[in-house]
Amino acid sequence: MGGKVTCTLGEVKQRADFIVYWGGNPAECHPRHFTKYTIMQKSKFLPRGRKDRTMVLVDIRETKSAKAADIFLQVRPGKDFELITILRALVKGQHVGDAQIAETGLTREVLDDLVQRMKTCKFGCMFFGMGLSMTRGKHMNSAALLTLAAELNAFTKFVAMPMRGHGNVTGADVIMRWQTGYPFGISFNRGYPRYNPGEFSTVDVLVRGDCDAAFIIGADPGATMPQPAIDHLKRIPTIVLDPHVTHTSRLARIHITTAPQGIAAPGTAYRMDEIPLPLKPALKSPYPTDEEVVRRINQAIAQKPFWLPEGSQPQMLNAQV
Amino acid sequence: MTLQVVNNATCTFCGCVCDDIQLHHDEIRIHEAKKACVLGTAWFLNHTAEKKYPDAIIDGREASLDEAIEMAATLLHEADMPLVYGMSNTTCEAQKECAALADQLGGLLDSHTSL
Ligand code: SF4
Repeated sequence: MGGKVTCTLGEVKQRADFIVYWGGNPAECHPRHFTKYTIMQKSKFLPRGRKDRTMVLVDIRETKSAKAADIFLQVRPGKDFELITILRALVKGQHVGDAQIAETGLTREVLDDLVQRMKTCKFGCMFFGMGLSMTRGKHMNSAALLTLAAELNAFTKFVAMPMRGHGNVTGADVIMRWQTGYPFGISFNRGYPRYNPGEFSTVDVLVRGDCDAAFIIGADPGATMPQPAIDHLKRIPTIVLDPHVTHTSRLARIHITTAPQGIAAPGTAYRMDEIPLPLKPALKSPYPTDEEVVRRINQAIAQKPFWLPEGSQPQMLNAQV
Repeated sequence: MTLQVVNNATCTFCGCVCDDIQLHHDEIRIHEAKKACVLGTAWFLNHTAEKKYPDAIIDGREASLDEAIEMAATLLHEADMPLVYGMSNTTCEAQKECAALADQLGGLLDSHTSL
């Protein structure tokens, strides 16, 4: 996500007078997002709080979040990319045909009004969720929305931010970017990191049956992945680290119980705006932390011969702290 | 019974990562998570410091942690193309160890993001 036009939630809380949620349901999935960071907060620049802010929700169906919104736009499923492209054209004052607009399930008046509001706000922020980034178009949708945010900066301050799902997924992106240069879908099989989602992303790897062992930590693919992927996990030796015995643990050869992060394990977690926050565990777990277990596995593997011939060993990540 | 209080604890259930939660606990379980939302409260109250599961399970039987670590290392080392996946519900410190693990093994490294 290098080069994306974004900001921290603190800035949104202080300044954003125009907030768009696209393909997400914060009322149910990020329950404190409204009250803590976005529409409900009063600030120096927006002293009347909710009254000073406008919220727009773009989604394929009317979720609970629609009640909180000033404007709700119901886009036809799978037409997000088209809608973003139309908005980009309208922002630049280019002609858009009626047929194109009708295709998205919205009207010209609504879109003209939206574009007008986008251009005239003081600080706009678009939050996009899985409804945008995991449906038809996938990362192309996210890229288009980020471009729209960038282009709106010709008129006013505008940013975009993904609504990251649960746990520390943002942390995983950040750590992988820091350590390897890429955010996910990485292969080290040539001795240096290579990035190719589709080839090295887990679902594809498992469905094709490309890997011959799996180490699963802080996730439960046995409950969420498509059946062919789960079948492959059953075929190969799978190792699971989790505070609970999960679906994946049941089909794995090894399960190791670890302390739950933030409750009994200390450490750091990233907020969706890539702000690292320290964890404050309240309990003492009888189990070791993930960090400790993975480090010990690393040490045990380091005792064994390296997989490349002697003398060709590249510099390892843990040697360059 | 007096409960101990942890101020400004961090909830990691969703991407909001609220860091203003007040936890009331008796060292075994958390009884109250003030300021947390319904999802966060469920997350805090569902985890305890009790020993509910064995340290490790190998092929369906209970095993010790040392044994499980040794066997995990052997299985991963023997594999030609091991996959390191997940890293959603864990700390950055553990994620860094995972990156080192995939690197050392010459394997694949991927997170939930790619789904
Ligand atoms: S308290 Fe609720 S909104 Fe805050 S991080 Fe936890 S689950 Fe998310």
